[in-house]
Amino acid sequence: MVNKDLIPKYWYNIIPDLPKPLPPPRDPPDAEFSRIELLKKILPREVLRQQFTIERFIKIPEEVRDRYAIIGRPTPLMRAKRLEEYLDTPAKIYFKFEGATPTGSHKINTAIPQAYFAAEEGISHVVTETGAGQWGTAVALAASMYDLSSTIFMVRVSYEQKPMRKTIMELYGGKVYASPTDLTEFGRKILKENPNHPGSLGIAMSEAIEFALNHNFRYLVGSVLDVVLLHQSVIGMEAIAQLDELGEEPDILIGCVGGGSNFGGFTYPFIGAKKGKKYIAVGAAEIPKFSTGKYEYDYPDTAGLLPLVKMITLGKDYVPPPIYAGGLRYHGVAPTLSLLIKEKIVEWREYKEEEIYEAAKIFMKTQGIVPAPESAHAIKAVIDEALKAKTEKERRVIVFNLSGHGLLDLGNYESIRRRVEK
Amino acid sequence: MKRMLVTYMTLGYPNLESFYQFIEKSVELGTDILEIGLPPKYAKYDGPVIRKSYKAVTSWLKDYITPLKEVRKKVNIPIIILTYLEDYLSNLDNFLTTLHEIGIDGVLFPDLLIDFIDEYEEYVSKIKGKGVKTVLFTGPSLPDNLIIKASRISDIFLYYGVRPTTGIIIPVSVDSLITRVRNLVQNKLVVGFGLNDFNDLRKALSAGADGVAIGTAFIEEIEKNGIQSALQLVKTIRGILDEYS
Repeated sequence: MVNKDLIPKYWYNIIPDLPKPLPPPRDPPDAEFSRIELLKKILPREVLRQQFTIERFIKIPEEVRDRYAIIGRPTPLMRAKRLEEYLDTPAKIYFKFEGATPTGSHKINTAIPQAYFAAEEGISHVVTETGAGQWGTAVALAASMYDLSSTIFMVRVSYEQKPMRKTIMELYGGKVYASPTDLTEFGRKILKENPNHPGSLGIAMSEAIEFALNHNFRYLVGSVLDVVLLHQSVIGMEAIAQLDELGEEPDILIGCVGGGSNFGGFTYPFIGAKKGKKYIAVGAAEIPKFSTGKYEYDYPDTAGLLPLVKMITLGKDYVPPPIYAGGLRYHGVAPTLSLLIKEKIVEWREYKEEEIYEAAKIFMKTQGIVPAPESAHAIKAVIDEALKAKTEKERRVIVFNLSGHGLLDLGNYESIRRRVEK
Repeated sequence: MKRMLVTYMTLGYPNLESFYQFIEKSVELGTDILEIGLPPKYAKYDGPVIRKSYKAVTSWLKDYITPLKEVRKKVNIPIIILTYLEDYLSNLDNFLTTLHEIGIDGVLFPDLLIDFIDEYEEYVSKIKGKGVKTVLFTGPSLPDNLIIKASRISDIFLYYGVRPTTGIIIPVSVDSLITRVRNLVQNKLVVGFGLNDFNDLRKALSAGADGVAIGTAFIEEIEKNGIQSALQLVKTIRGILDEYS
């Protein structure tokens, strides 16, 4: 039985507590149209309002808290006792299990309020993109909760590798297309240049936005923007309360980073409350945002329909290596997280596919849960930190966010296994 | 206490004659402070209307000194120059000296606390050292600590832009945003960016703004209905401000 009292009453926004100003979204020089103006037609009104009405705490509508309860919030905070024993570490390891929601990831935490706000506004149809399918699934479920139609542009390479994700989205009532499609001008342009283009999140995002604009639907945003990290703060707020109940003070907080939403949602309430000593953001070495990305104004989407935001980025036209199966393929890092990394408040790590594969196997062997390949990046950092605590003989408390389960990513593991265990 | 009306206009817009007329009359109608925009290379935080006004004047406006001298002669309220610091990095001293000689009261660089955050205090002392006042520009994307610090060193007032860009009416809760910072600001708090909606204007004043800064609304009015109509708008806004005195 879920106790609704444990679901936070407020979302937390870290911006008022950042060490430096967050450079605001802006229009490019000599723009032929204003992207900021266009946002009014792209996002549901209340989503846009929350993006720009920056306050430390924002009340969560009761209706949204009820839905959070229905999907199983608060998610469990679990101790990885067997993993500790396996590593023979003096560290205590806890994880917040976001894979416990029906869609299998944290993404639902923002899909629900966004769909709710869209429905309240009288919108009948929402559109978005998805890579691995976690976000697409979350939107399809959230849309069905509020009787909205949903259209999802899925990165082609994932569409082909992950037919099961497509099935779930369709079972929830979503309509799924492999991007680049010929349904949008931008998709047709990409296909003209390369009919076999594998797609990218940036391209799928542009297609979803264009499609929404053409039909006067609304677009739901799955990561990067502050409003998404605001909604995701339920993860960290719950984790703080759950650790308090156990009488634990966390030392190290770890999360993986695609666009940055599960990481921000998990760690920001800790950072804001000055809880924890070290925060580690983990990315993929194959999509080397942290090690080779630049901190500059760039578009979140490839067509450049959204305003420029200042972030660590590999460039809006970046196309990830198609063979790679570890997730976290987005080209940029949320502006708040980029700033925290530049200010050295958050540390970063990058791991290779074969490293996260081994970490996932250790986690499965000891704890039983199949982690999402994305989350296995966090697990790898957890293992490294636990072993470091052993060398340094320190009883550290490590808490990480297990952002999703990997039951629909077995194809990815199969693909990595074929390459790693030749 | 009387609430302040800070009136923005792009230098020379729509032409010199109308510009002088608007400025002079708007002061007669109750403008307390003038903000005059010098066309920048990249109007980072300006919406399409102000960007267009910059474009409209750059083709013929070759020199900012003469028209500013003229404005200084015509009005005796504080004049603040609004432009982006980025464009003056190489000749800031000259620029400030010129402004000081003309008798301009202060400058407002919207990008100072955002793009030059690591050196902003040095810039502020430099500007003040040249005898020019510094109005600091803040917004909701600044952390509370910095808003407190900035409010202590900002001259004349502290500017707080409630939206990311001028003139675009992004839905925001103006009252919540002002409530967040009202107690942090140890200074006069002037609120701007998209306040041509009278509901928003009233919300800002009720929430404790000491004044409002209006620009796009006047330019739009000049564009659509001419100078007289824009001056009528100055009068209307002055009237709303006076309800809160």
